[in-house]
Amino acid sequence: MKKLFTVATLISTMLFGAEIIVKGSDTMLNLTQRLAEAFSAVRPDVTVSITGGGSGVGINAIINREVDIANASRKIKSKEISSARSNGVNPVEIVIALDGLSVIVNGKNPVSQLTVEQIGAIYRGEITNWNQLGGPNKKIVLYGRQPNSGTFVFFREEVVKGEYSPAMRQMNGNAQIVEGVKADEGGIGYVGLGYIKGIEGIKPVAVARKAGEAYVAPTDEAKVRSGAYPLTRPLYQYTNGRPKGIVRDFILFELGPQGQKIVEEEGFVPVTQNYSERNNQILQQ
Amino acid sequence: MSRKKLVVILALIAVVGLALEPGETEFEHNGWFRYTNQSTAFKVAEPSVSRLSLERGYIRLSHQWAPSFFTKMTVDIFSSDKYPEGATVRLKEAYADLAAPFLRDFNITAGLQKHYFGLIYSWDYTHPEKELADEQGICGSADYGVTLNGFLPAGLGELQFGVYNGEGYKYAGKYVNTSPELLGNLRITSLPGITLGASIFTNSADISHYKNDRKGRVTEGGNIYFMNADTANINRLAYAPMFKLAFGPFSLLGEYLGYSYTRRFSYYQINRDTLGNIVDSTLVVKKKDYRMNGVDLVPVVTLPGRTVEIFGRFSIWDRREQSGDSMMLNRDKSFIRYGTGFNYHFVRREKGKPGLEFQFAWTRTQPKNSALQPTDVLLAQVRFEWSALVPKPQM
Repeated sequence: MKKLFTVATLISTMLFGAEIIVKGSDTMLNLTQRLAEAFSAVRPDVTVSITGGGSGVGINAIINREVDIANASRKIKSKEISSARSNGVNPVEIVIALDGLSVIVNGKNPVSQLTVEQIGAIYRGEITNWNQLGGPNKKIVLYGRQPNSGTFVFFREEVVKGEYSPAMRQMNGNAQIVEGVKADEGGIGYVGLGYIKGIEGIKPVAVARKAGEAYVAPTDEAKVRSGAYPLTRPLYQYTNGRPKGIVRDFILFELGPQGQKIVEEEGFVPVTQNYSERNNQILQQ
Repeated sequence: MSRKKLVVILALIAVVGLALEPGETEFEHNGWFRYTNQSTAFKVAEPSVSRLSLERGYIRLSHQWAPSFFTKMTVDIFSSDKYPEGATVRLKEAYADLAAPFLRDFNITAGLQKHYFGLIYSWDYTHPEKELADEQGICGSADYGVTLNGFLPAGLGELQFGVYNGEGYKYAGKYVNTSPELLGNLRITSLPGITLGASIFTNSADISHYKNDRKGRVTEGGNIYFMNADTANINRLAYAPMFKLAFGPFSLLGEYLGYSYTRRFSYYQINRDTLGNIVDSTLVVKKKDYRMNGVDLVPVVTLPGRTVEIFGRFSIWDRREQSGDSMMLNRDKSFIRYGTGFNYHFVRREKGKPGLEFQFAWTRTQPKNSALQPTDVLLAQVRFEWSALVPKPQM
């Protein structure tokens, strides 16, 4: 019976092709699309459909069995694991890349380094003028993400450590933040590393954990990789149970040499040894 | 504080406050348009009830003030010929939700909120009718209270402790603030797909006048009694162990309900001498115990694509009342119920997007008094939900 089912599945796949549905993080959207295109070149029988919407949307979709993979730039919450489990879904976590979440300012802004505490105070609305940070007498304009974004949550928990200023402009995606800061000399924003590569008119600031410690630029890949960059974060994919079949094939491709090269090309950092070992344990058959 | 004042204050928190602070606001509307056909012995063409109704019309306004502070208000608009007024509006929810300090993933909720007990905690109206505890009036579907709600680490489950008013949200005036209730809910999902849990609540004793089954002058067997007003239910205790199994397209939700309470009533017996003259009176206080048990099972099969759900329903309800030294089964009010139905989702609801669903259910209720006819209910309804997210204003 099992053999018959396997043969039927194979025939069905050959005739109709197979589809992997991915949904979630806007930060990971471009990266995953590139990975999917490259995967389709080696597995033309498989279609990978990718949509964004934010990490929360992706995780909600895997909880409701609507997708095969949820992209998330933040870790799944206890509440979400609980909902998933009671629905018979077992969220399993893979790290496909690392991101140095980059704080960007307008290219004309002379301020080029900030501490995590200063950035937090800016986003809480406690520091409101660039002259408080050694810059020009110009009002700081905050650009951030909307609450269903994993980046919004990560930044709030790791940097803001409180509530965002109500004055923050909530943008729909990384690209909108980049465009906003590019056009606004008083602007400051935060975006995934993949969104600053080759963009003119903005600059990432170097970040120190606290005053007196070394400032590190997010473009310093080695420092992001080692975690010396204070805003290093993993980029996750969640599946229902250990990945199997074509979903496993796709994830193995993402984590393989070709996939990790795309990760670098898209401006992110390939997975480190620790994450790689953890991934391997999950992907072992 | 009177109920009216409390409602006004909560409404002010939820509505007036919206104009004071910028933030994300969601407007939501749920509508359940239902046809009910009720008959005995499945005589669909001769129904005892044939009714079209707007069974529910929820209008919700939610506002996220800050990551740690949220308010919500729901008004229920419903219309049916079973109500003398034809249409009614009632406040269903009005609460503030604040992140609990020092407790990650825990919130404190205060106000008029859903009364979670038993399967109500997990009820998502896959079956269009109410959950058994709600239907049998063990607890009101909403109540005034303060609850601590949270999630256990590593997604292990959920926990809730609460203090509720205890009377539900439909009572007003002298009938409220009489029996505060302690409530606890626990859900553990240590293995994906297997949830075990329990709910429990208990009321403190209550001596307020509540219902008046009999009062005034009554003559029985040549004696004259002056009946006092009956008192409220006292020493209520309800518990409900539950489970949920979910594997692939199959799920089974079930619970056992246990509920007991005592009613206290009193009267003055008039004592007379041999000539028939009143000489004195004696206060007689009596109690009567009630005990109820129930089982509710809802198996569901969700077809691929999640467009169609096929469900079943099986319930048992036994009501026992003290008669002398024994607890006699009230066969007229005890029943076995079973049935089936399906849901068709034209559009599945996602947050911020509309959903449209057609639901059909048949249930047969067989009273345990075999002399009584079974009642069949056919129910068809269209349920629609939509919401609009009001974006945060650009500053």
